[in-house]
Amino acid sequence: MSTGNNPLLPKLTPITIKERVSLVYVEKGNLDVLDGAFVVVDVNGVRTHIPIGGVSCLMLEPGTRISHSAVALAARVGCLICWIGEAGVRLYASGQPGGARSDRLLYQAQLALNENTRLKVVKQMYRMRFGDEPPAKRSVNQLRGIEGSRVRQMYKLFAKRFGVPWKYREYDTDNWNKGDMPNRCLSAATAALYGIAESAVLAAGYAPAIGFIHTGKPLSFVYDIADLFKFETVVPIAFQIASKNPQNSEQVVRHACRETFRSTKLLQRIIPAIEDVLAAGGITKPEPPEDALPPAIPEKESLADDGHRS
Amino acid sequence: MMVIVLENAPPRLRGRLAVWLLEVRTGVYVGVYSVKVRDMIWNHVEAGIEDGNAVMLWDDLTESGFNFCTLGENRRIPVNFDGLKLVSFLPEDKKEVIDRKS
Repeated sequence: MSTGNNPLLPKLTPITIKERVSLVYVEKGNLDVLDGAFVVVDVNGVRTHIPIGGVSCLMLEPGTRISHSAVALAARVGCLICWIGEAGVRLYASGQPGGARSDRLLYQAQLALNENTRLKVVKQMYRMRFGDEPPAKRSVNQLRGIEGSRVRQMYKLFAKRFGVPWKYREYDTDNWNKGDMPNRCLSAATAALYGIAESAVLAAGYAPAIGFIHTGKPLSFVYDIADLFKFETVVPIAFQIASKNPQNSEQVVRHACRETFRSTKLLQRIIPAIEDVLAAGGITKPEPPEDALPPAIPEKESLADDGHRS
Repeated sequence: MMVIVLENAPPRLRGRLAVWLLEVRTGVYVGVYSVKVRDMIWNHVEAGIEDGNAVMLWDDLTESGFNFCTLGENRRIPVNFDGLKLVSFLPEDKKEVIDRKS
């Protein structure tokens, strides 16, 4: 079965994140490749094509099986696959290999390693989130404290605006149903945002693990980037839906997330935002050392983002 | 832009659509019209489709940038994936499983 090496057709190539739809959730069925297309086949034999090359992140829920050729095709067209558990808790992710750009990785690491540049990046994140100048002469630690209290304040404000009882943000990934309705809606909504943020970080050529505010997690940088957009996109939605207390809250949340990702043009804005916060560090991307060996076969022009392997 | 694709449609409907739309291939009609005109044209399709089937697509403010609707029996059925409209292809003898999906 061919997954893109068909000699009669041009080679498959990824396209930019900004031209894609945000998320597709698949809850059951076999994911496979038929005639070169990515399909979900259910127990009745019904096939549904997923236009995988036009999707930035595919979320597989419990109850799905995926074939080797399907993962290979997703990787080839640069779609991130996340295996998610009950309520969007991530299990594993692949299908869009990161680390394609050493210059970006070194640049990101250099910014994070130097206390001065790191503080500049954190301040820029602060500016983008709250729209005002962060207090001068504060350390990253102090800024994080200020940010934490502002965030708690914002949760309270949204809860008040939508008339939702609110205690505090809590999530127990081991016992999903324990959380209250607003917390569950928030977790489902942020899980969707993290999927997109990760696919954008990878597509831009950066490392998800090297964070500036967050650290010590495989997705630290993804949380940093998702936080830039969280209160503008998914948080109001989560509270709004929690206030209506619907039966299938998770599905309603996903539906609404898709709508807000579209209306806020999130996929167009997220990679420029990543570049913007990193540029605040004030250093340039490293040139390759003079004595290093350039590629024997230069890369071809591609429709993809810089971080995609095409 | 709007596109209509007809299968197994009576000639009088095909002729009628050609009044407003350009038939670029057999049964494939293209044009640029307002919502009102689009609805009017779709009314003609509904009235004249008989045993055939039709699909109409148009630019829309969905995430995929377009939307579509269908008429008549076909092995391809629109399905909703958490707000994203995709298409399921039924096997030869499984027309009855549609309802569960939509």
